Amino acid sequence: MLRLENVSVKRGKSIALKDVSFKVDAGKTIAVVGESGAGKSTLVASILNLASLASGKISWNDKPVRKISPALVSQEPRAAFNPVMTLKQSVLEPIVGQKKTLLPDRLNRLCKGLELPIDLLDRKPNEVSIGQAQRVGIMRALITSSPLILFDEPLSALDAVTQKHTARLISDLQKEEGFAALVVTHDLGYAAAFADDIIVLKSGCVEEYSSAKEFIQSPKTQYGQDLRNAAFALGALERAS
Amino acid sequence: MMKIVIGLFLRASVVLAGIALATFALLWNAPGDPALAIALARYDAIVTPDLVDEIREQAGFNAGFWPAFQAWFSPILMGDFGNSSVNGRPVLPDLMSSVSYTFPLGIAALAIGMALSLPLAILSTKRPGGWLDRFAIAVASIGNAIPAYWLGLLLILLFAVQLAWLPAMGARTPSHAILPALTLGLGVAASLTRIIRSGILEARGQNFLPALSRRGVPQNSISKDHIALHAAIPVVTVFGLELAFLLEGLVMVEVIFARPGLGSFLVEAIGARDFPKVQAAVLLTALIFVVVNLLIDLFYKVLDPRIGDHDA
Amino acid sequence: MTLQVSDLSAIRSGQAILHPTSLSIEPGTRIGLVGSSGSGKSTLGHAIVDALRAQNKRAAHVPQSPDEALDPLRSFKFHWHEAERALDLAHDVSKQRTLFSALKIEDADLRKRPWSWSRGMQQRFVIAMALIGTPDLIVLDEPTSALDPIVAAKTMELLRDHLADKDVAMLLITHDLGLATQHVDRLIVLDKGKVVEDASTHDILVTPKSPAAKSLSTHRSWLSLPC
Repeated sequence: MLRLENVSVKRGKSIALKDVSFKVDAGKTIAVVGESGAGKSTLVASILNLASLASGKISWNDKPVRKISPALVSQEPRAAFNPVMTLKQSVLEPIVGQKKTLLPDRLNRLCKGLELPIDLLDRKPNEVSIGQAQRVGIMRALITSSPLILFDEPLSALDAVTQKHTARLISDLQKEEGFAALVVTHDLGYAAAFADDIIVLKSGCVEEYSSAKEFIQSPKTQYGQDLRNAAFALGALERAS
Repeated sequence: MMKIVIGLFLRASVVLAGIALATFALLWNAPGDPALAIALARYDAIVTPDLVDEIREQAGFNAGFWPAFQAWFSPILMGDFGNSSVNGRPVLPDLMSSVSYTFPLGIAALAIGMALSLPLAILSTKRPGGWLDRFAIAVASIGNAIPAYWLGLLLILLFAVQLAWLPAMGARTPSHAILPALTLGLGVAASLTRIIRSGILEARGQNFLPALSRRGVPQNSISKDHIALHAAIPVVTVFGLELAFLLEGLVMVEVIFARPGLGSFLVEAIGARDFPKVQAAVLLTALIFVVVNLLIDLFYKVLDPRIGDHDA
Repeated sequence: MTLQVSDLSAIRSGQAILHPTSLSIEPGTRIGLVGSSGSGKSTLGHAIVDALRAQNKRAAHVPQSPDEALDPLRSFKFHWHEAERALDLAHDVSKQRTLFSALKIEDADLRKRPWSWSRGMQQRFVIAMALIGTPDLIVLDEPTSALDPIVAAKTMELLRDHLADKDVAMLLITHDLGLATQHVDRLIVLDKGKVVEDASTHDILVTPKSPAAKSLSTHRSWLSLPC
């Protein structure tokens, strides 16, 4: 279980995160929503131990999170890969030294599920489309079998249909393997369909933290309502008739 | 903005103070006895050990490094560069008179460089990969590869010896400056052509340009108002480096064409171990360098305030 | 007057990314151009604008990201004047004010360069600029994808209100049928560089015929996905 307790992060003199607390059980998904600059990426960085905490504590089953090497799907699909390595080399890099008996099957399955031709992995990052790079990034995180995976805008470069197929694949694998997932997204539709809990960040503070169902039905705060109405207006969510 | 300007000035003064200390330390630790060298330069004959000691005392060499540095540096802050240790005359007037030869030569070389490279680069980018472009690249590569002293001699052979159109040696009339300026200017043009060319090509690849033409902005306005501005940034960057190349070339060219100037001044002073003169010349060169780079930094701030924001 | 474009096509490195396509667009209509990534939507959007401009029609294009529309070294004011000059218009302060207040950017400092405004405001400025000459058609290429949802929804709302009483036709390019259905009455479905369906939004939602339209329609909503 991932647990954040009263986490604050400073950036220079300003506060990037203030007093953030939540937990994610194994097999569960939390969606983090909020506008640019609300602290979503800082949150991801602090869980990955890439931002030093001004106060608070981040733990996985009462141990430091780095012990379980969480996997990250970066929001910069192409920049997340070493440009001189093939995608396959990048995908396999985090699991060097692990048993690879089932690896070909797993790779095949992921490629199929992510709608990527298997020989695409022999290419370099700049030889594939940005949407393909994003899905290979998801593959790299999923193949690690890490108990915690952080998805930072994982579907931003995909079209609406592929988004849904990809979200479905992630969810199916999660059911089998039971990893905890934290998903940063601006898409409330995605959050509503696939997350158990939703946390709304605004200027570094937790504005709202509730189950996805509750949030979609009746947001508690004005900002939550604004977000939901925007999702209605953009067709990301449909009003219950 | 004011804060940025002050910051840049502070940085420049630190650099200058560092350079003053470094040159002084270098000369101080140079092999050979400076007092002996001065004596030889001054009397040009047999010198007695007593005479050398006397000079050493006069020049303050006995006092140790820091007092000597201080004795030299503090008057400079007031604009007094001291006296030549060889002929005892004040350094500054000699230095200024040499600069009065070098400065116009440098400007002329830069002007020739720009006048040649700008049209050549613009022409060559009309059709990248076309024959004109390849020709321009070839000319620029050859120009870059030819050392100034060799080009200078070739020009003397052609224009002074064979054709007898122009004078080769000295600096009596403005026409004496033509060949040296050409020697330097061709070198400047060679490297600038390549930089302007690649600057233009890169600027042309900017992703907002198609939207401009789709908005109906005519092609020549796009070139003039957008591409030129973006292409200017790398060119300005290189201008600072170009200046270093130019100062180095000036020393060589002034010797080849037997022109008085900063280069010859420096060469003579080093030969005679004339400390105050060497230091004054080095300091002045550094000052020019720092001031030009300061102006370039300021120019950046105006052109694109995002540049250097992280370290400002 | 109906806008007509015919036989638009595009070839990139020997491959047809847009097969010959003809379209007619009635004044004041709202059309969605939908399809998966790589179906040729953006290419068709560019081709339509270029073709209409060649016919001396007024067509404006708003790219996906403001970075693709604005020179980072030039001020907003410069861009505005340049856009006016490009259409041979004199500087019209009242028109500028109307557009800026319609898109809620009237208080912003025009002397600034693009990157000092938020992306949402930059995008609205680009939309305002596209409306300077009251075009016959405005093409919006994924106008909301680079924006935060609240800003995106607001921008679309402001644009819709501004266009409500005008004869400006709108072509909304998007991969997201959910977004399109909120804003358009007619949908053109593109698949592998070909128009495979062109019908009213209602028909495509209820009785999609082509596989591409079916796929888009069944995956429209996050909360009612097919198994």
